[in-house]
Amino acid sequence: MSAYKNYWLTWLVLLFVTLGMIFVGTSSVSKWFLLPLLLAAMLVKAGLIGGNFMHLRKERLALVLIVTLGTLLVGVALFAGIAPDGARIFELSRH
Amino acid sequence: MSTLQTAEVLQSPWEGRSCFGTGWHKLMMWVFIITDGLVFAGFLAAYGFLRMASPTWPDRSRIFHLEFIAVMTFILITSSATMACAVGAARLGRRARARQFILLTVLGGLAFLGMQAYEWTKLITAGASMSSNPWGPPLFGASFFTITGFHGAHVLSGVTLLSIVAIRLALGRTRAEGVELAGLYWHFVDLVWVFVFTLFYLV
Repeated sequence: MSAYKNYWLTWLVLLFVTLGMIFVGTSSVSKWFLLPLLLAAMLVKAGLIGGNFMHLRKERLALVLIVTLGTLLVGVALFAGIAPDGARIFELSRH
Repeated sequence: MSTLQTAEVLQSPWEGRSCFGTGWHKLMMWVFIITDGLVFAGFLAAYGFLRMASPTWPDRSRIFHLEFIAVMTFILITSSATMACAVGAARLGRRARARQFILLTVLGGLAFLGMQAYEWTKLITAGASMSSNPWGPPLFGASFFTITGFHGAHVLSGVTLLSIVAIRLALGRTRAEGVELAGLYWHFVDLVWVFVFTLFYLV
């Protein structure tokens, strides 16, 4: 069982982070405090799965950067590109 | 490219290591995961846009039972752990143990799919569809069914892939690398759920 110890430790941490997220997500905390906290916890969980389960920790830095930064930055860039339009539509709908 | 160079390329066995230090099969799986990840990134960015543009958005506590979704998440995380153990066992040459862990992963995937089918049925029965829902913005239904449906299709593909790998492992026709590649795909499915769960159910 010692060969799998690292995986079950990761599982335990993922479980606790998920429970923490649910606790925070259902509490009456301010939205501006809640959002960065949940996003940070989400990235921690993604890092744990990628690093320990997908063994990205043991891969070359070039591959790690392509996988993580590549997908994350494209996602953020996509959102940043269309978010101003979303905000504009929201403002227009209020008038 | 000269005829000689073309012949050399065509005769190349594509064995050995890629420039990233991985085998070519593994690199191709990573390429697939990145492209698939970009599709999900597009979906989630579009979902973020809809949330920003909509003056109102349904209260999730009125629609979902978060405890139920938490159990689904727990099952998927656990199946990812059993899949990691299967990869570890396959690398150590423990084929029977690897098969057991894969079967546990398949069971987890099936349980997740069953629970998702239940959740979908409940929402459809309540009147939700791709174009309308009783809680307000019609785009809520469209984004919910598209994102969770696309993820569910990935889980179904993963369950099928893992079942095939388990059978091939029992027949001695799959090496440790095959289990590892299937594992990469399964962890990706779990990884995507981390984003879907946070952005759709919690935020």
